[in-house]
Amino acid sequence: MLLVRALLSVAIVVCGGIVLAEMFASMRMAGIMVLPGTVLGAAMVALGTHRLLLIARVRGILR
Amino acid sequence: MATKSRANPELRRTVTPWGSFSWGYSDVGADIFVGLGLVLAAAAGASNVAFLFAGVVYVCIGLAYTELAATYPVAGGGQYFVMRGLGDIFGFIAGWAVLLDFTIDVTLFAWTSVDYSSQLLPSLTNSIHPWVHFVAVFALVMGLCLLNVVGVRESTAFNGVVSALDVLSESLILCLGFLFAFRPSLLIHAMQFSWPSPYQLMLGTSLAIISFVGLESISQAAQETQRPASIIPRTSVALILTILIFALAYSNLALGMQPWHPITDAHGHHLAFWQMFPNSPDNQGKAVALLAAQVPYYGALAALYVPVLGAILLLISSNSGVFGSSRIAYAMSSSNLLPAIFQRVHRRFRTPAISIVFFSSIAVIELVFAAVPGLFPAAASFYARFFRGENGLDFLADLYAFGAATSYSFVFLGLIGLRLTDPLSPRKFKIPLNIPMRFRGERVEFPIVAVIGFVGIFSILLFTLRTHVLGRIFGPSWLLLGVLLYLAYRRYRRLPVLQSRQRDWRNEQTEILRRSGELELMDEYLANLKESDQRRAAGSSGA
Repeated sequence: MLLVRALLSVAIVVCGGIVLAEMFASMRMAGIMVLPGTVLGAAMVALGTHRLLLIARVRGILR
Repeated sequence: MATKSRANPELRRTVTPWGSFSWGYSDVGADIFVGLGLVLAAAAGASNVAFLFAGVVYVCIGLAYTELAATYPVAGGGQYFVMRGLGDIFGFIAGWAVLLDFTIDVTLFAWTSVDYSSQLLPSLTNSIHPWVHFVAVFALVMGLCLLNVVGVRESTAFNGVVSALDVLSESLILCLGFLFAFRPSLLIHAMQFSWPSPYQLMLGTSLAIISFVGLESISQAAQETQRPASIIPRTSVALILTILIFALAYSNLALGMQPWHPITDAHGHHLAFWQMFPNSPDNQGKAVALLAAQVPYYGALAALYVPVLGAILLLISSNSGVFGSSRIAYAMSSSNLLPAIFQRVHRRFRTPAISIVFFSSIAVIELVFAAVPGLFPAAASFYARFFRGENGLDFLADLYAFGAATSYSFVFLGLIGLRLTDPLSPRKFKIPLNIPMRFRGERVEFPIVAVIGFVGIFSILLFTLRTHVLGRIFGPSWLLLGVLLYLAYRRYRRLPVLQSRQRDWRNEQTEILRRSGELELMDEYLANLKESDQRRAAGSSGA
């Protein structure tokens, strides 16, 4: 179960990373309009990282 | 001991981390089902910006609640934090604003639950059969009131299953929507050519905050969670980010969605998805179901089950309004902020029946105000003349936004107050960005995020007062009525009217930590107190 959760968390981080990359790529064309998408990507990366850190603590990898 | 536990029954601490998450999710997660359509109708091409602004404020609010609920794990929520940080009268105002929100919560979510059901049962539609819609919402409110009086409450396990299904379903809708229907160029086009006026953007932003209301549930869960100082920060951060992601993702998807099944108006003109919402209260009340139905491949299936899932989630949230209002009133009554009648428990059912019936009655009055323009054409023309033709859903959303912005503003001030006046309570979770300083001889940390959050939520309160015609009349009227009742009650009971009652916060905090099982934190707190007392004694003897 923990492995599935970890994989899901990695997937969230990867999706967030893709959103961020897309937003940075569109920045020249769209300017400030990419801001909501950038925050969306950052929130996804933060959520995935938060869950991965929790799992690492449960597994004793981190204190 | 047995007598004591009978006289003062405590809540069992049986809520697990997932239970704590799902408790909050079933409350806050339902908000996007209501908020999305309203914001799309108001802010059009800037809906995602409205959600972004409200979302950033919400993250600050969520972090503040997380710190406060982990430090003071009691069910009173915002009113308790504000009362402790700023004093009794401000605690009352915050609690009274939360009570407004809870009663609106009952009506608004029952209303939209019927709207979502109307996707499958069109005879419930408000604009075609207003009386059927009104009777259905009224029956739901009455049914929830009755269930709460006899003591039937949805279990944490049921909340957990519905929340899990909803997270899965929403994730699927968003993933498939972004994969098959989203066009970045369409999003940019919508933002460039459908950018609203500043007035509409303010209106949209003030409505977007209703997608993030319900953080009181974090403190309610804290009361029933074992070792809340450890569990609450873990679940709250995940909850805050999940809700933020859903709100931002839905608004971006709605603006950048190329309809698989082209949406056309009555004249056959092609419409962007967001154009389904202005001037259509029926559509505004079921936006997520309409969006899900437009997702390629999956839409046909989603059209069948998303309305049902949405209706159930909204009904749970409506129930949390009935339950939460009676619980907040109970806590306020225990603190002598409301008359003792709100603490009275029904002999047979052991529930605060008077509170439940009282606040459900207020919810029914709000329902009548909201439904009147749809039911009577003469009233509709009166609303059109004096209230810019606001409809029932607008009326409820106005008051919901007002109540939330008011109570959250006070919670930020309460957090700042508590950081200054109670630096000795151990804080296992602290919101980031603090300035270390000294206050009354103690080392304290001044929270920058609370200031940013306060500025944000206060500006949303100003947007609400500026743009919500009904909200700026009925919201302050509710507060004024409450303050008058509070002053009369305190005077009648011969309690300090504008001052606060003397309380032994040290003993209370020790007891709170002991009851929550945070024994290490209790020891740390006692050690902090001892050290502070010794320092003060040494300082005064030296002087």
